Amino acid sequence: MKTINELKSIYTKYNFLIQQLITRDFKVKYKRSFLGVLWSLLYPLMMMTVLAIVFSNVFRFSTPGVNYLVYLMTGLTLYNYFSEATNLAMSSVVANFSLINKVYIPKYVFPLSKCLFVGINFLFTLVPLYLVILFTGTGINFWHVLLPIVFICLFLFTIGIGFILSTIAVFMRDMFYIYGILISILTYMTPIMYDINMISKEFQMILKLNPLYHYISFARTIILYGECPSISQFLICIATSILTFIIGIIVFKKNQDKFIYYI
Amino acid sequence: MEQEEMIVIDNVSMRFNLGIEKNNSLKQIFVEFLKGKKKDKNQFWALKNIDINIKKGEVVGFIGSNGAGKSTLLKIIAGVMKPTKGKVKSYGNICPLIELGAGFDMELTARENIYLNGAVMGYTKKFIDSKFQNIVDFSELQEFLDVPLKNFSSGMIARLAFSISTIVEPEILIVDEILSVGDISFQEKCEKRMTAMMSGGTTVLYVSHSLESIKKICNKVIWLDHGVIKEIGGKKVCDNFEKYMLGGEKNE
Repeated sequence: MKTINELKSIYTKYNFLIQQLITRDFKVKYKRSFLGVLWSLLYPLMMMTVLAIVFSNVFRFSTPGVNYLVYLMTGLTLYNYFSEATNLAMSSVVANFSLINKVYIPKYVFPLSKCLFVGINFLFTLVPLYLVILFTGTGINFWHVLLPIVFICLFLFTIGIGFILSTIAVFMRDMFYIYGILISILTYMTPIMYDINMISKEFQMILKLNPLYHYISFARTIILYGECPSISQFLICIATSILTFIIGIIVFKKNQDKFIYYI
Repeated sequence: MEQEEMIVIDNVSMRFNLGIEKNNSLKQIFVEFLKGKKKDKNQFWALKNIDINIKKGEVVGFIGSNGAGKSTLLKIIAGVMKPTKGKVKSYGNICPLIELGAGFDMELTARENIYLNGAVMGYTKKFIDSKFQNIVDFSELQEFLDVPLKNFSSGMIARLAFSISTIVEPEILIVDEILSVGDISFQEKCEKRMTAMMSGGTTVLYVSHSLESIKKICNKVIWLDHGVIKEIGGKKVCDNFEKYMLGGEKNE
């Protein structure tokens, strides 16, 4: 509780700094591109179209009863947020060493601002997702009001992992390479492009240890099947995300004073 | 008159591990793990048992040869580093000028950087809005406001940075060798502003290798040598230091 309160007070005090860091990221990202912020919408839409064509036509993946494109996009939208945000958060502390070395800034600010920045991008990618939901005739149902819950869970989980990764990366730069490998393993270990029922029961058990699977299937239950997620789904999502978030804060907080020696 | 204490440095020691750089990769950790050796041979005490009390309104100059621990001490006071032992207490907001323009992003324009850097120093948007014109006027960079910083000369960047850093009147100002940037007229302007701040009751910690400027503005001088305080006193310390340094050179 104490650390959460502290994080809150840091957030209110350095609110403007976080805003500035996010706007900087946006400005730098889209500088000198003709379409600018429009890429936030176009890029995921096009990437997902490519994947959808490859997997449904070449590999002939399909999901009985529901639209494959929507199935794929729901998974990818959530997964891409996690993968991009953790990657940026991991390098955020190391990238800002010149600042940390000169001015006192609470170091939480860097991973947090990256996760928020990608979070705003994530909200943009919801636009193509909803376009696909409407055009494929999947339609919107009442339970969509519950989706923000899983988004918040995903955010908390991501920032928890981001805190841990950024800490490790400070002490051990190998982490950038290791994580690149880990994330591509995770891409295939998360049922994004395929249905979890396609694989053997024992292996399913392993995949279900991955919290991301639960967030994605929570969203799919609502979007594809139009049902309210079960109580156990709620509990798993909320528990894993809060737990990861707290562990992340503890790891980061315990180590942040040592960061400066590893520049 | 009893003066208020602004900074209390209580028995501060700082240890660096010189070999730490090499320990950054997995391979090193693995090799060391196999060899079973612990590396604490390369320890280096940058500061040893420093005790200083600084009162409100004092202008303190730090002198000493390279590597004496001046900048480390200032970083500890600014809160950038935590001391290995001991405690530092400061009463009042600190504005570190340890290195100017720390928060600049070269891709962004001067205007955008004013806001970014202001935020890094912990100011609110409202506050920067109200001071924006002051900053621009002082830096004399009105026509370059919307030019990306990467096209600026180093002198222009220093101007901008100094102007942002000194918009507030902080209670404690930490200055580490910065007045050597910019052209003469701007240097003079900076010095004037700093003198104005000092007369306004700001406590200043000033590090410089220019004994001239230390003598000119400081009323207390601290001489650091290999992490310990060699002498604290008035301007006479500068002369002793100078003699010591020159004498040392002759002996070599």
